[in-house]
Amino acid sequence: MDTDLLNKVLKTVEKPTRYTGGELNMRVKSLVMENGEPRFRFALCFPDVYEIGMSHLGSRIVYNVLNERDDTYCERVYAPWFDMEKAMRENGIPIYSLETKTELDKFDIIGFSLLYEMCYTNILTVLDLAGIPFRSRERGESDPLIIAGGPCVCNPEPVADIMDVLVFGDGEEVMDELMDAYAESRKEGESRLQLLKRLSRIKGLYVPAFYKARYDAKGCFEGFDKLCVDAPDKIERRIVKDLDAAAYTGKLVVPYMSIVHDRVALEVFRGCTRGCRFCQAGFIYRPVRERSPQTVIDQADDSLDCTGYDEISVFSLSSGDYSHIHELVPIILDRYEKDRISVSLPSLRIDSFLKDDLEKIQKVRKTGLTFAPEAGTQRLRDVINKGVTEEDLLRSVHDAFVAGWHGVKLYFMIGLPTETDEDVLGIAELARKVSREFYSMPKELRGKGLRCTVSASTFVPKPFTPFQWEPQISVDEVLRRQALLRNALKGIRGVEFACHFSETSRLEAAFARGDRRLSEVLISAYKNGARLDSWDEHFNKPAWDDAFASEGLTVEQFANRRIRIDEPLAWRHMDAVVEHSYLVREHEKACSGETTRDCRKGCNGCFGRRAAEFCRIKEQEV
Amino acid sequence: MRLAVVFVKGPQVRFVSHLDVQRLFQRAFRRAKLPLAYSQGFNPHPLISFATALSVGMTSRSEYLDVTLTERMEPEAFIKAVSPCLPEGVEIKEAFDMGESRKSLTSAMRTASYRAYVNFETEQSRESIESAAAKLMAGEIVVQKKTKGGIKPVDIRPMALELRLDELEGNRAVFFIKGVLSAEGGLNPDVLLNELFARNGIAADNETERLEIEMDRSALLN
Repeated sequence: MDTDLLNKVLKTVEKPTRYTGGELNMRVKSLVMENGEPRFRFALCFPDVYEIGMSHLGSRIVYNVLNERDDTYCERVYAPWFDMEKAMRENGIPIYSLETKTELDKFDIIGFSLLYEMCYTNILTVLDLAGIPFRSRERGESDPLIIAGGPCVCNPEPVADIMDVLVFGDGEEVMDELMDAYAESRKEGESRLQLLKRLSRIKGLYVPAFYKARYDAKGCFEGFDKLCVDAPDKIERRIVKDLDAAAYTGKLVVPYMSIVHDRVALEVFRGCTRGCRFCQAGFIYRPVRERSPQTVIDQADDSLDCTGYDEISVFSLSSGDYSHIHELVPIILDRYEKDRISVSLPSLRIDSFLKDDLEKIQKVRKTGLTFAPEAGTQRLRDVINKGVTEEDLLRSVHDAFVAGWHGVKLYFMIGLPTETDEDVLGIAELARKVSREFYSMPKELRGKGLRCTVSASTFVPKPFTPFQWEPQISVDEVLRRQALLRNALKGIRGVEFACHFSETSRLEAAFARGDRRLSEVLISAYKNGARLDSWDEHFNKPAWDDAFASEGLTVEQFANRRIRIDEPLAWRHMDAVVEHSYLVREHEKACSGETTRDCRKGCNGCFGRRAAEFCRIKEQEV
Repeated sequence: MRLAVVFVKGPQVRFVSHLDVQRLFQRAFRRAKLPLAYSQGFNPHPLISFATALSVGMTSRSEYLDVTLTERMEPEAFIKAVSPCLPEGVEIKEAFDMGESRKSLTSAMRTASYRAYVNFETEQSRESIESAAAKLMAGEIVVQKKTKGGIKPVDIRPMALELRLDELEGNRAVFFIKGVLSAEGGLNPDVLLNELFARNGIAADNETERLEIEMDRSALLN
């Protein structure tokens, strides 16, 4: 790497510390081991800008796990922002790792984190700037192995032609096995094909090249033909069983610039027991696995000591559901108060709201409060199995207002299955009641002015949820319902409306449920100039429209089509462990407005016969 | 007590902005478990202030900050505690007790000197560069300065105390620059150099290092 040239370029770009590395706790290793053998070089790439990627807990865990290995040196890579990509191209600077500033094509393995569908083009930016061919079949013996992990792997098909290997499930559970196999393969002097075969035998690893997709006359996905007899029929998701024993982030790298989650995140549990029917995370991270309060506190101590952060966030899908939350929160608050460390509790659910703890949090620092009723009427909340009532919400906001809060955010979704105009208007009704709750309180008891933000995103059907078969509503219909809501919210005191742009939600739906043909669409969209698509202001619609058209496909056929229950799904070979029949049953119950209990209150049988093998919720109850 | 700290900002952290340098020290002091004093008010923050900011991209051999502690600490002990907690490229050179002084470091700044490493696109002769520099320093140097109220012409000549060519070899040169640096503002050495190059149609880029900030220590400590 020409560092003079790089320095010259860095002077011209926005936020240059995105590209400099050298942060505190960055791992520094020699490229050879003590025995003189070279270390395997692993480039861990988050396909979005630095401040987003550095905020992702999962890849920070994997960074630690890989660097704990003596035979591996894992370095970080993020996608460049527009200005940097342009500058790199103009100056012939290839993409490089932050730790040693090494060009990416010199690595043995490049591992991408797939957190959301709209970051897929950034994968291509990285490969392109490294001079690595996009398609797996175009890469040869000397190219790095391209792998990916993260929640999007539950439907890996849209990136199947690009990736050599996909890792399904908890990364810390499988990365060591993957590296051991890689090391063995290298020792044996195996070819790329032999390596892929070896990897495909590891549970949780998927090698797309060993499966060929079939489509029917109408162009619907029909099934797979296996091209390698040894490849498994089903790829079973890997699950960390004991979170106390599992690896965590270790010595956290401390960024110079502000990142999105610029604090110590304490993961108190993984999974969620609620079973909200739209929520993919609620299904693909099952079962709930908790960390003991002692482990959480030890990790908090270590993380604070090695970073100097002054903020901790209790992190999970639904922190209020942590069975030791009432024990943990006062302990952390007392323990760190003298060090002026503030504690935030995001992802709190309305019904698990902790009035006493709330007062304590306020003692340290007041952070924003967020509630997610998701739907405006009880009928629709029952359909989506959001076990929250209007009374729950109003009681919670009342408590918050009494405790001095005057800013709350309310999250809703537009376009949920069975939604009618009445449901949309119900959102405005709920906001009106929140406003009334605030202003009916005596002035001396409440804060100055209410700042209630009603946020409405667009529903995206996702694989492995009971709504995976449901269509997304059309863009016109999204816009109509947004307008309806905006109008209904007008004039409600203290209430603002924020809604998500729907084009990206539509594309997200297509890629969430899409099949392998989307790999070519993706490559074509990239060539047409699509970049950083999750940044709405940079969304390039023509690039995508042309890409779909050139492949003879439409966004609608993936996003807006109702899939028949008996139709083969493009992700049928992925086994998330939650049973297909369970999702079918949940879908039926949704249609009839029937709710399903929280599985802490009794098993609903989502794992079928495999419950005993994976689920320890019952043991945790005791 | 209040301690003044002189630190190095090396090439590894040249692109870290002033705001991020402030956070970097807050975190380093927390890791070192210093007895930090905090401000009063709704959002208390540790009492750390910087003499001046350094432009993003510049390195420096002596930057100043002061930190207030709730307990006495010897400067040597302070350096020993903090040094292992700093990232690569940041180093504490010196710390001294500010005693009863209530003055800010900013108020004691007088001048600063810089060294600029220049790359010319084409080879230059010593004579032509030296005469161009002498000519530049002989009269007003009006540059367009961005302010809140828009772009305004400003004469930076009164703030430019010295501009000297130290080394020249092929198309590489080293300049020494000295300028005013005070609470009211100061000379930006890169602006002076750009003006020199622009007036003479020379294409060049440069990297600048701040060598020293001259502090009136008697004014500071009395």
